[in-house]
Amino acid sequence: MLRDEIPPGTLYLLILKTLSVRGKLHGYEIAESIERHTEEILQVEEGSLYPALQRMLIKGWVTAEWGVTAGNRRARYYTLTAEGKKQLHIEVSQFERVMGAITRVIRTA
Amino acid sequence: MSYLAKTIGELIRRLRMLFRRRQLDQDLEEEMRLHLEFRRQQQIESGLSPLAAGQAAHRRFGNVARLKEKSIMTWGWEGLESFLHDAAYGARALLRSPALTLVALLSLALGIGANTAIFSLLDAVMLRSLPVEDPAQLVLLGKGDTSGITDDFARTDLYSYPFYRQMQQKNQVFSDTAAIFSITSGGHGFVEGRTESETMNVQLVSGTYFQTLGVSALIGRTLNEADDDSEGDHPVAIISYGWWKRSLAEDPNVLDRKLKLGSTIYNIVGVAPAEFFGTKVGEAPDMWIPLSMSKQVPPNYGGYKDNFSESLLIIGRLKPGVSVGHATSNVDLLFHQILLGFPDAKLSQENLQKLRKTQVALHPMATGVSELRHKFSKPLQILMAVVALVLLIACANIANLLLARSTVRARELAVRQALGARRARLVRQLLTESLILALSGGALGVAFASIADRVLLHLLSGGPETIPLDISIDLRMLAFTFAVTVLTAILFGIIPAIRATNLGLTDALKDGRSPQAAGTRNPLARALVVSQVALSLVLMVGAGLFLRSLVNLSEIDTGFNKENVLRLEIDSSSAGYTPGEPREVALDQQIEERVSALPNVKAASFSAFTFHEGSWNSPVLVPGVNLGQDINVKHNVIGNGYFATMQIPLLAGRNFSPSDTRASQHVAIISEHMAKIIFPLGNPIGRRYGLEDEAPENQVTVIGIAKDVKFGYLTEEPVNVDYIPYTQHPWGFGDFEVRYTGSFAPMATAVQHAIRSIDPGLPISGVTTLDEQVARSLTNQRLVAQLCTFFGLLAVLLSSIGIYGLMSYVVSRRTNEIGIRMALGAARASVRWLVMRELLSLVAIGVGIGIPAALAGDRLIASMLFGVKSTDPSSLLTAVALLLLVAVFAGYVPARRASRVDPMEALRCE
Repeated sequence: MLRDEIPPGTLYLLILKTLSVRGKLHGYEIAESIERHTEEILQVEEGSLYPALQRMLIKGWVTAEWGVTAGNRRARYYTLTAEGKKQLHIEVSQFERVMGAITRVIRTA
Repeated sequence: MSYLAKTIGELIRRLRMLFRRRQLDQDLEEEMRLHLEFRRQQQIESGLSPLAAGQAAHRRFGNVARLKEKSIMTWGWEGLESFLHDAAYGARALLRSPALTLVALLSLALGIGANTAIFSLLDAVMLRSLPVEDPAQLVLLGKGDTSGITDDFARTDLYSYPFYRQMQQKNQVFSDTAAIFSITSGGHGFVEGRTESETMNVQLVSGTYFQTLGVSALIGRTLNEADDDSEGDHPVAIISYGWWKRSLAEDPNVLDRKLKLGSTIYNIVGVAPAEFFGTKVGEAPDMWIPLSMSKQVPPNYGGYKDNFSESLLIIGRLKPGVSVGHATSNVDLLFHQILLGFPDAKLSQENLQKLRKTQVALHPMATGVSELRHKFSKPLQILMAVVALVLLIACANIANLLLARSTVRARELAVRQALGARRARLVRQLLTESLILALSGGALGVAFASIADRVLLHLLSGGPETIPLDISIDLRMLAFTFAVTVLTAILFGIIPAIRATNLGLTDALKDGRSPQAAGTRNPLARALVVSQVALSLVLMVGAGLFLRSLVNLSEIDTGFNKENVLRLEIDSSSAGYTPGEPREVALDQQIEERVSALPNVKAASFSAFTFHEGSWNSPVLVPGVNLGQDINVKHNVIGNGYFATMQIPLLAGRNFSPSDTRASQHVAIISEHMAKIIFPLGNPIGRRYGLEDEAPENQVTVIGIAKDVKFGYLTEEPVNVDYIPYTQHPWGFGDFEVRYTGSFAPMATAVQHAIRSIDPGLPISGVTTLDEQVARSLTNQRLVAQLCTFFGLLAVLLSSIGIYGLMSYVVSRRTNEIGIRMALGAARASVRWLVMRELLSLVAIGVGIGIPAALAGDRLIASMLFGVKSTDPSSLLTAVALLLLVAVFAGYVPARRASRVDPMEALRCE
């Protein structure tokens, strides 16, 4: 069960996508979702998650509000904003562009 | 969303966070706790024991506190937050030692305030641009430092009206040209409907004046070309905002009001904007009237059509893209062309040669013209240097105070460093404290400066009328003050901050005091005190030199007796008297008679000038004699009682008498020096010479020789002066002097009463004494002497505080040693001497450095001194003696304290 580190600059992309799919999540749920989805290949370090979330709050890509979990605990839920959705598109296309280019290089025999 | 909108949104979010800082902290704390809890739960589910799960969760999470900080840091306010925190901390620390803080604040306030005050003066006189449109594009023909009327050929500073017109039409480099009459006539007039006359300072300008400057009227219109196209029939005036406020109480119907100047009635057609004061710094005319009316406005100078009545300054606005060099060559070419083209030009060989050698230089007009500037530019620069030195001394004091404090705080700083604070971070905090101190001092300084400014303006004016100069504190000034404050904070804060954080941690923690301080603080503190002493010495020597100069100047023999002479101005031309008319002459004679008859009056007379009032000069010619070069003579038109009033002795011949009338032979009395120059051989009495030229109507016969007098300045070389009776030469606006006995005030009232009894409509102004007139010519020197002395004494005071502080500290450090000495039998006196010896050695070194510094510095001011050399030994000695006295006094109190130490206490205090 090797754990690779998340390629730099893609954390935002992953968080944005996760939120766009799952809607409203709190910090732990976001981390967990990414882990599960990648079958634990990618692990989100808490040390990078929270700063990233703060930055996304600053940039206006997400909003946060307090809610209650299933187990009746107070948690902060993050949701995507319209701006965030736009940013997601931008990041996805950028990622695909870069990945496509890299793939092309690799594929040349 | 646009990039700008996104950035703004981000900024707003960041700002909002500032207010919810604590909330954010708690939120994050809670959020992370939850996350940790979930992680722990997950670990338990994957099979670990609760304890191991907790540990694993923590391990994965990392340092919670650190992570929280890191998250908050992304909001980007860390810098500001730590600054505010430091500032609050610093303020509290300062408040904990109030005495020290107060001394520091006062020193700072005085230092920074003095700098701000002098700089605002410097700015107003020398640096500030005129409040007009694009002042950088304005140029002046010539230097603009002369004012008056002349008919000299090929003058580049003053021009005639026809010349201006031709220059305006023919030039290719100016988009607008304007002419300004170089004298602002301080006349009197009537506002229509009022019976009392009021002062009206009139500035005669061309119709293009306001357009060239790019100034539009606040109310109504400004002057235009139509107002200036024909002589004598455009009685319009633009009034200044200040005059509108003062004299018309901001009447909204101002455009319906009229003024009467001389015998003409003028319509007010506009009000100038509030900040506009014309183009001469230090003068603020009440109204602007077109040059077409120059003959109508008293004192009726005229010259509208006269090719060689040169009295105007010419300014031009450069066309866009035209360089000054290009403009200069175009203007210079035209200058020659126009002068040669005048039909009545005296194209003598001499004049042509003069013209060939002359070139017109264009000077920038952005800061206007100013006589003030010429007078005060050097003194202001010197004062600026002086206050800078005072500030340095104040900074040295504060640095010493901070050094003293830092040794006390050594333990606190050591603890913080041991806990991991970086040295740079601590230095930053200490600097912030210095900044708080400096900013508070700076704020006080600004308050001090605004008071000082009023005093300064009064000193600058040197007389009852305050110069209209705007030296209020504005944004530029505040920016300057702020810059000085920050610089000051760094200056006095940086060294103590670095020293304070340079600690051997273990020692500091153990001791509570930095043992290095004994070694490292003292040399630095000593060096600071020594430099204070040296700087104070420099300032005191300078002050002494200026004071002696001033005293020397006031003792110069003026040639006339300036005591007990009342002097005032009567503006008869504003009251409808034309100069030279029999009616006017009769009025003058009547006034002289009636005033002379008053009790306690010894003599009374009219004259064109008394002292330091400008001059009317012209060259003179002796018929048939080639004098070799142009002899320039200053003329004074006087009454018969002049010599008696001024007590100027007649060395030969006779005085003017009632027999010298308009019809009789034209006579003159010449000064000693002039007699030697134009009539070197034989008796001058009875000889004839010509004023200005050889025309018979300008010839006069010499009937007397008067002793030389000072005419314009106390320091001038002997000048050629001649006197002409006013019965033979018209003169409108002049001085009236009265020699009296007794006190001034009743005499002034009596004289004015007598004058009014002859014609109640005569405007009287400028009532003062001849003594004051002479003193006014020394305003410059007096300003420098007074201020240098004040700042010199201030510097000494600050230094003495520094000495006191240092000595107290030294004594407290050596308490132990002193106790031992006393226990071993040392006398109190010898302990006192111990301390004083230390002090004297410091002062000696300071003096040793200060003397050569003073000598070097004084060489710079040598040109401003009078009657005293810059290396004058007695000034040096006096300054040294004063400093020694003050230093001894300052050090005596700590010395006495040292001698009073109880040996048992001292020994116990380890």
